[in-house]
Amino acid sequence: MNDSLVVFKNVVKLFGEFVAVKEFSLEIKKGEFLAIMGPSGCGKTTTLRMLAGLDQPTSGEICLNGKLMNDVKPSERDTPMVWQTLALFPFLNVIKNVEFGLKMRGFSADERRIKAMTWLKRLEIEEFASRDISQLSGGQRQRVALARALVTEPKILLLDEPLSALDAHLVIRMQSVLTRLQRELDITFVYVTHSQSEAFAMADRVVIMAKGEIEQIGTPREIYRAPANRFIAEFIGRNNIISGSILDKKENLITLQSKAGPFSVSSPEKLSLEVGEKLNLVVSADVITVSEKKPEADNVIECSLIGEEFIGSIVTLFLEAKGGIEFKAQIQQREIQNLDIRSGSQLFLSWPTASGHILPK
Amino acid sequence: MASKTSKGLTWYAATWRLPNLVWQFLFFVVPLAFLFYLSFWLVRNYRMVPGFDSVNWVKMLSKDYFWDAYYFTFCMALVATVITSCIAFPCSYGLAFKTSNATRRWAIFFLIIPFFTSYLVRIYSWQVILAENGVINAALGYLGLNPFIMLNTVVGTLVGYLTLALPLVVILQTLSLSNIDRSLIGAAENLGCGRLRVVFTVIIPLAKIGLIVGAVFCFILSFGDFVSPYYLGGSKPPTLSILIIDTTKSGQQWPRAAVVAVSMILTLLVVAFAAVTAAYRKRT
Repeated sequence: MNDSLVVFKNVVKLFGEFVAVKEFSLEIKKGEFLAIMGPSGCGKTTTLRMLAGLDQPTSGEICLNGKLMNDVKPSERDTPMVWQTLALFPFLNVIKNVEFGLKMRGFSADERRIKAMTWLKRLEIEEFASRDISQLSGGQRQRVALARALVTEPKILLLDEPLSALDAHLVIRMQSVLTRLQRELDITFVYVTHSQSEAFAMADRVVIMAKGEIEQIGTPREIYRAPANRFIAEFIGRNNIISGSILDKKENLITLQSKAGPFSVSSPEKLSLEVGEKLNLVVSADVITVSEKKPEADNVIECSLIGEEFIGSIVTLFLEAKGGIEFKAQIQQREIQNLDIRSGSQLFLSWPTASGHILPK
Repeated sequence: MASKTSKGLTWYAATWRLPNLVWQFLFFVVPLAFLFYLSFWLVRNYRMVPGFDSVNWVKMLSKDYFWDAYYFTFCMALVATVITSCIAFPCSYGLAFKTSNATRRWAIFFLIIPFFTSYLVRIYSWQVILAENGVINAALGYLGLNPFIMLNTVVGTLVGYLTLALPLVVILQTLSLSNIDRSLIGAAENLGCGRLRVVFTVIIPLAKIGLIVGAVFCFILSFGDFVSPYYLGGSKPPTLSILIIDTTKSGQQWPRAAVVAVSMILTLLVVAFAAVTAAYRKRT
């Protein structure tokens, strides 16, 4: 029994000369929360629009529920979408917006009202049923857009950066609303975003795209701890990327010679590496320990502090090691009180061998 | 302190508005008031005498030919408005949604060109085309068909009204359709709304203001036009504007012509106000 709901097979999308999506192949499982993440212009929204039928693939196949969708009109697909702009109809009030999809499918006025009210209640906006869209706040509009998309009980919901216009605290609330809904309904969510925190907080699987191609597919944890290449390591932020060459290789331990000194790292199982080979080591900023006295640890480096970024409970320190190599370290705000942090302070960074990650080229 | 600034700003704003207010007062309100006043004057020995007598109003409004002309003019303007809006819409739709920006720019440029030439010149050229031995009937005769009389009929008048209003209505509709947020159309299709149904359930409600404003312009231009019913419609039956000409020609009856003119202006004010109210009314 095949459990994929959506299959993209070698999908290509050209806009004139511009290649928006190239050779895109992906299977999306039933009941999965999949996030497609990437920088602006990476083709993630185009991919979603092709799934909804709003853009036609130049070549390749898109199947939904085992049926080839290439020539199916958008209005005949059951792939409701929550738009980045929300795209609520300004000439209809809240409940009429929610009823829209039901009306198009020929439900009677009574059925429409009952179903729409059920969804408004479920999303806690039933008191606004007869309001105009212009009278709602951003968060309330968001919920109307969700209700409108879900009222027809689809098997899949497409979301195109739906939270990008909301305030930070509302984003967190809507994230929990979305994950809870997805679990309760047990339907597939395909969520397009450029925000790492949204993708990692909600998705079962994350697809990272760049320049129209898939760079990596994996769980948030896999992508965070083991980025597949330099682009992803840089894209998901707060990573230290250290270039160097292999000095020594023993069983499953590699010693890497870099400008800042030698570092040891566990050897990845899948890669066969030779001594002298150049490679990149990724150490994410949150696995680094900062101390004033030189600690006993696998990897230690002395740095001078050049700056700090304070965003609440977490502080990011920016430091410089010898050879001009910059390091980032994230530590808890309460830990920083024991440290002497002035510009130019000498501090020691350390991390265990197992926390480093070798980038496959 | 604060009140001083706000007062200063008010004066500043008023200074800029003043020329417009003066212009509107001198050249719109004053002549209109004079026209209204004129409708109460009297004519003695073919000469106008200032006065204040409602006799002109009583005379005009009790005449059947006035009400016939009023009804005919209103219906013709209404028919022209419906025909113009219906012809313009597919054209504007195509320009707004099915053409590139460059094509749309050129199209709007070409729609402005008719306004370079005098309306009267364009109407004369229609005479050549519509006449009994004109271009169209020559073509029909070539196909072995009898000539179709268009000149000096309501068909002629309507052709004239369309000449006057169609380019403007297409421009107004195209501009309002181009401003529609495309994602709303996508959203409607995404929710199961077919292409044709999108036009009626989403596009027309979204472009409502532009469509109504276009229609109002067409109504106003047709209702008050004198050239088309005179040169293409043969003045039969007369419209209100032709009635004004006839009234002034027969015995210097300027006050009675003023009665017709004031009733026309009142009609247009009511129509325009009702239409704009409908355009901006919220629909739920």
